[in-house]
Formats: sequence, C-alpha cells, structure tokens
Amino acid sequence: MDSALLLELSINGACTGMMYALVAAGIVLIYKTSGVANLAQGALAMTGAYVAWIASTLVGLPMWIGAPLAALVMFGVGALIERLAMRRMIGQPLIMAIMLTMGLEIMLRGVMPGLLGGTVKKIDIGIPNAPIIAGDILINRTLLIGGGVSFAMIVASILFFNSRLGVVMRAVSDDQTASWSVGIRVERAIAVAWGLSAVMATTAGLLWGATQGVDWSLSLLLVKALAIAILGGLDSLPGVLIAGVAVGVIESLATGIIDPVIGGGSREVVASAIILATLLVRPHGLLGREHIERV
Amino acid sequence: MKRRTFLTAAGAAMVGMQFPIRLASAQEKVIRFAMPQDFTRVYTFVTVEYSQGQRDYISMVNAKGGVNGYQILADVTDHANDLPRALEAYERAKAQGALLVDPLSTPVARALVPRATADKINLITAFSGRSDAADGETFPFVFPMSPNYWTQAGLLIDFFRQQDGDLKGKKICFVHIDTPFGKEPIPVLEALAAKQGFTVQAFPYTPPGNDQSAIWPQVRRAKPDWVVFWGAGVGQTVALTEAIRNGIPMNRVSSSVWLSESDMDVVGRAQAAGVIKLEPCASGRSPKLIQDIIKTVIEPGKGAGDKAKVGTAYYNYGVMMAALMVEGVRKAFEKAPNGPIDGPWLNAGLTSISNFEAEGLIPPTTVTTTDHQGGGRCRIARWDGAKFAPATDWFSANQDVVWAEIKKSTDAFKASGK
Repeated sequence: MDSALLLELSINGACTGMMYALVAAGIVLIYKTSGVANLAQGALAMTGAYVAWIASTLVGLPMWIGAPLAALVMFGVGALIERLAMRRMIGQPLIMAIMLTMGLEIMLRGVMPGLLGGTVKKIDIGIPNAPIIAGDILINRTLLIGGGVSFAMIVASILFFNSRLGVVMRAVSDDQTASWSVGIRVERAIAVAWGLSAVMATTAGLLWGATQGVDWSLSLLLVKALAIAILGGLDSLPGVLIAGVAVGVIESLATGIIDPVIGGGSREVVASAIILATLLVRPHGLLGREHIERV
Repeated sequence: MKRRTFLTAAGAAMVGMQFPIRLASAQEKVIRFAMPQDFTRVYTFVTVEYSQGQRDYISMVNAKGGVNGYQILADVTDHANDLPRALEAYERAKAQGALLVDPLSTPVARALVPRATADKINLITAFSGRSDAADGETFPFVFPMSPNYWTQAGLLIDFFRQQDGDLKGKKICFVHIDTPFGKEPIPVLEALAAKQGFTVQAFPYTPPGNDQSAIWPQVRRAKPDWVVFWGAGVGQTVALTEAIRNGIPMNRVSSSVWLSESDMDVVGRAQAAGVIKLEPCASGRSPKLIQDIIKTVIEPGKGAGDKAKVGTAYYNYGVMMAALMVEGVRKAFEKAPNGPIDGPWLNAGLTSISNFEAEGLIPPTTVTTTDHQGGGRCRIARWDGAKFAPATDWFSANQDVVWAEIKKSTDAFKASGK
C-alpha cells in the first residue's frame, strides 16, 4: 500500500472527522444540559445551510453578512424549539423527548426542500477548490479550512463552559433540581444550549454545504455525528474532538484499504461498527462520565 | 333548524354539481397520461424540470387543437418514490382510463412492470427502470424510448476511442454510487475492456455520495486516461467538485445523462468547463420545438413552472419524452382512427414511431415491437462554461455488446420472473 496515499487519506480524514465532530458537539451540548439526545441535529445543520442560502442567494446579502445572520436566526430557532416543544416534555418519559426530536428531524427534512426546491443549491463561502500540494500529498483546502473552523468552534465551546453562563450550564447539567433550588433559571440555560447547538449546526451546515452543495442529504450528517458523540462520550466536548479525528481517519483509511478488497461500502459500516462497539465495550465513551447508581 | 336547512341545501348543491361535471367529462375527447412522479424525495434533482417540460409540451399540443381533436390530459401526482403510494397512484390511473404511466423512478418502474404488463397499460421508463426493457418482445408494455445505461456506457467508451484513436493499454476509472443503478454499466464496461484492451478500475462510493473525499485521491493516484462518474443529484456535484480539487483534467472527465446546468452552478460554471456528458436530446432554447413552446405556452403565461428553467437539460428531457408519447398517439390514430382508445391501441402507436426527430430536438428515433430503446442514439456534449455544447453528432455504438447484455438479462427474467 502506498504510504503517501495513506498519509493523504489520514490528513483529509482527520479534517472530515473534525467537520462531523462539529455536528456531534451540538448533540453533546444539549445532552450535557438537558439529558436529551437531539436526533434533529442533522436536520438543523441542513436548515441552517438553507437559511444561509436564502440570505445570500434569494435576498442577495454577501456571505459575510448572510452566514452570521443565518447563525443568529438559527439561534432563535433552537431556543424556540426548546420553548415551544421541548419544555412541554418536562415530566414526560425521556423517550418522548427523544421521539420529539426525531419528529422534528423528519419534518425539517421534508419541509425545507419542499419549500425551496429539491435541486442542490450552491453556497459559496469563499474557499477556493485549488488543493494544497505538499510533495506527493494533496490536501483538500475546503476540508482543511472546514476542519480548522470546526476545531476552533469546539475549543471555543469547551472554553465557554468556564464562563459565567457556562458555569450555570454545568450546574444545570450536574443537577437540575439543585440548580432550581439555588435560583438558577434552568429552562433558560437549556434554551441557550439549544440555541448554541443550532449555531454549531448552522456552521457545520455551511462548511458541508460549501463542500457538497445544500440539499436534504445534509441531514445525513446525523449518523456520523452520533457515532462521534457516542464514541467520545455523550457529555464530553473534549471527547468529541478525539472521536472526530478517530472516526474520520478510520473511515478514510477503510475506504482506501478495505474497499478495494471487498468492493466498496466499508465507510458506512465503520460508523455503525463504532456505535455498536462503543456501546458494548465502553457505553460512556472515551471521555464521558460513567453514571453509577446505588441499587 | 336554519343550520339543518343550510346543510341540507349545501349537500344537495354538492350532489347536484357532480352531474354537469360528469356529463362534461364524458363528452370531452381526452387521452389521459398518468405521471405520478417523485417530487419530494430521491428524484427531486430532476423531476420538477422534467415534469415542467412534459406539461409545457402537452399544453402546446392542446393549444394547437390536440391530436385528432383529442386533448391530452397530463395527470401529475407525487409518489415520493414510495412504492405503496406509487401503486395506489397506478391503480387510480388505471381506474381513470390512463393509457400510459410515467413514474420516472427505477424502483417504482420495476415494481410496476408486472402490473402494467398484465393490465396492458404502457409504462414509460425513460432514463430509469430496467435496462433490459429495451427488449420489446420480453417487455411488450414497457417503453424506455431512450438510451439505457448500458448504451450510455457503450457510447462514452466509443467517444474515448474516437478521441484517442485506440484504447489499448488505457485506464478508465469508473467512480459510481454503490447501488444497483451505479453498478449497472460495469458488465458492459468489462466486456468492452476485454474486447478493446483497456482496463477498468471501479471506485464505489456510499449513497447518496455527499462525502467522496477518500475516493478521489485514489482515482488521481490511479492516473486514469479517462474518468466516468456515475450517480445522481448530490453525488454528481460532489464527484465533479472532488475531481476538480484533485486536479483531474476536466476534458477527460465524463458522465451519463444525469448532469445538468444546475449541477454546474453548484460546482462552479467556469471550473467545470470541459466536462463531458451524454445528451439524449438537444439542450438550450434554440431547438424549434422549444421555441414553439415559448411562443405558444410560456409567453402567454401558461407555463407549468419557472420560466428560467425552460431549455435546461432536464426540461428538454421532459419535452423529449412528451413528444415521443404524443407521437405514439398520432401513430395510433393513423393505424386505428376509430380506436378503441386503450393501452393496446397506444402500444401499437408507440411501436410504430419511425425516424421521429421532434423537429431536431432528438436523434432519429425508431421504436419497434422488438426495440423499445429507440435505436440507442445520443450525442456527446461538453460544458463550455456557459452551456453544454455538442461535441459530436447523434451516434450509436457498441450495440452488439449492449444487446448481448440485454438478452442475458431478459433470459434471467424469463427464468426467474424477476
């Protein structure tokens, strides 16, 4: 096997994995604060990309205004989801809240392409297609920049948990009842988490939209994001960073090494195998907290 | 009391209103085409424009008096690529007396083959469905009336041969979506490789193809003489973008009929210049038939959709197929002016289409009881940065290999019923 090819696949895979990790970070953010696994995160990424496309193409705003505007709008959408839908699930079985997010996913996946048309939309965030060539290795510029932006956003979200609002959200994630008792507005903290998660999804949607165009298939980011969130630990943002790189590199190398032998299809198997193996061997993931209950 | 009177009166009015409508329907001379298609799920990349082209052409025919005084009724519904919905739409179409059904979906078309054959309703499977349906003797009521995927692969290989003189020792990389549709051309490519001395290296990608970043570095390192990418929708735009990012020369990169102007918009019009596709019909607004549609339907404001889409590749595919269907009706009237107007009647018309060119929009197309593909002609077009410009005239190639594959497949169908 060509070692240069393996290195190239590893670098591009790490960048791709980091871009998936940004979607996973949104799932973790919501899980950390409310204990709900948000299955609509892929659809939120798709919706954010559509909103940016509306702002830049239909309204005609330059992308440097359209992208932050889309993030702002999606923050509101995320907070509204919490206010109008998730808050009503308080007191209901957890599975109801998770099913609600799944319903949201199905609805958004149908509504957005239904309203805006099914053809793939172009979104230009100004990254040229020309690759970076280092000797015999070619690094995909879009993936490199996308991976860099994703890394920066995840690190920022880790740092955010040290801010005043972040400490409030940590308290909520530790014990909602205790947080209530000391006067923390738990609902507001969860709404902020949903808003921030939607902003992360929008950024991921923009980066992936610039790579593949905007259409319903952006919602499929959910599968990889779930694999990364489970492997890293559903309540660990640093875990997402490590798992993102791991999943990206393994998938990419599998495509290069296993696909030529078995005739293709290994990439999808990798994500599902990671989910299964993690749940069987280390259910709380690489850096997630292990919940031990006294019985 | 007043409420009851009102409801009774309203109910009576509703019942009464049915009679004039039914009488009018019975008196109208209408030929019904059922077009349940996928507007909301998998085929969204093509259906809107394809259907728009079909409806605009039919509107033009009707505006000019129809065929033999009969109006063509295009009954458009959404089956969402969902088999139960599609079967329901088919049964409704059958009950309403549709002479043909055009589902524009491979899984739906495959599911409908036994029903349509039993019911003697003509099933249009342009650019979809079973490739072996070209064999009219095995599938008498299934009509691709367009080059199947085996023919498309054969045409591309012949174009490469025309360009290079000889393909001996050349390497062709085939990047395809990992589905039955994506794998379909492989037997023909392998047969031609054995015959002409080139090698084929296949690179499957996971559906729908939104991440192909690990595939294209391998394609680049294989140093191909030609690249064929084979998918649809987002898989096509991602493939082309990755080819550009990997520095593969666009004038050596090619695809099937599934490449459109909207794909070029996503990839970048200038960057994609040089890429090759197969054209089953002329694109753009210059063909006479498209000009007629613009004058008769679009300018009076009677178009079925966005004016900007008139003349795009997929719009013209829709016009092409509607023109072939209506030509089938014309031929049917020539053969049996007094009907009875039913599926077998239209079938006789469709299989009598001879050297039909739709006023220069399509290659000379002849459909017979044995060849439902229509001759397998296409032309190669190159994206010049603004439009798909023809690079060849209409031609047919490697039909011996294609028909050998068709016969192999129909033999298997006859043996297994699948």
